[in-house]
Amino acid sequence: MSPQSIYLLTIITEAVLEKDIIDAIMSLGAKGYTITDARGRGTHGLRSGKWSVGANLRIEVVGNKDLCARIVEHMQSHYEKNYGLLMYTHPVELQYHDDLGKPQ
Amino acid sequence: MSFEPVVLFFVFGVSAGLLRSDLKIPGSIYEALSIYILLAIGLKGGVELAKYPLGDLVGSGIVIVMIGALIPFVAFPVLHYLGKLSRADSASIAAHYGSVSVVTFSVGITLLGREALDFEGYLIVFLVLLEMPALVIGVILARYGQGGVRWGKLLHEVFFGKSIYLLAGGLIIGYIAGPEGIKPLDKVFFDLFKGVLALFLLEMGLVASSRIADLRTYGAFLVGFAVLMPLFSALLGTITGWMLGFSVGGTFLLATLFASASYIAAPAAMRIAVPEANPTLSIGASLGMTFPFNIFLGLPIYLWMAQLIHA
Repeated sequence: MSPQSIYLLTIITEAVLEKDIIDAIMSLGAKGYTITDARGRGTHGLRSGKWSVGANLRIEVVGNKDLCARIVEHMQSHYEKNYGLLMYTHPVELQYHDDLGKPQ
Repeated sequence: MSFEPVVLFFVFGVSAGLLRSDLKIPGSIYEALSIYILLAIGLKGGVELAKYPLGDLVGSGIVIVMIGALIPFVAFPVLHYLGKLSRADSASIAAHYGSVSVVTFSVGITLLGREALDFEGYLIVFLVLLEMPALVIGVILARYGQGGVRWGKLLHEVFFGKSIYLLAGGLIIGYIAGPEGIKPLDKVFFDLFKGVLALFLLEMGLVASSRIADLRTYGAFLVGFAVLMPLFSALLGTITGWMLGFSVGGTFLLATLFASASYIAAPAAMRIAVPEANPTLSIGASLGMTFPFNIFLGLPIYLWMAQLIHA
């Protein structure tokens, strides 16, 4: 196991932003990401998942604390004002040896 | 008054939503239906287009796109100064009303089929052309004097967003294939069209039912706008179609195009380019009010207008 703590950052936001966010996440140093379609209700009303505008995504990124902080800061400065956005992190344990915890 | 039975599927969908039925069309099926409809309409247009010399269409194309581009310029001041909506909201709604609805157009075509009226098949080309300028104008109206437009992103969305891309792709394939070449595909894309449209309208009814509940919060102004704006645009379309020498069916379809408001291409483009505009307002007005108004009352009125001007 890597000596550094590893975190799972989960971002729930609007599907129209998918391409922008993926570009940003990768350029901020992430090794990869996982995206699933999501629906639910929040301060931006019911997100039915139907239309491109009503659709939500759940984006998951695993990495060290610095990487998660960089992504969160980017998301807040670019999207928090006008888009539905929910972000949280969990500490996680990888079940195999990987270098995700190394400085990225 | 003529009435097209496929619109009953819309009512069926709305009532399922209002009665809180658990009826739901899975998102991936909805996606597949919309891809089918956009491609089928594009193919149909392309096949028709192959019958006309392209050069003949340039003149009327320029006139139609320029007059169509007037619509957001009329809608914007009404929304901003009369309706007291914010600049971003007014511009976004104006873009929705300047752009067009493929499904409204499709219901218009089925209505013409029912009335046994012909139309100029190449009108479908204008469906593609009319989707785009209003979106760009909407962003200019929103950003006028304020700078900061991500034009690259917007233009990419306008030209390569799935609705324009599929329509344009269908047009090109249909044009290359021509009436003979398309025959192996016509069972899937033309014969089944009405049935698929019915399923799509069922889904639209389900989505619209959730928007109709929102309408109460918009106030009388937006509801009035959502009904009067398409009537004004249809009048503009009727006069334009008549001046260009279109048949009754063609004049009616042009009026329908002008009167329809987008709820697939415009919302996605506006969300990216004018993020501070509230999408609930624009989609609520175009999908919750204008779309049902058009398919139930609007289309018969526009047909009557087209017949009147040709009488």
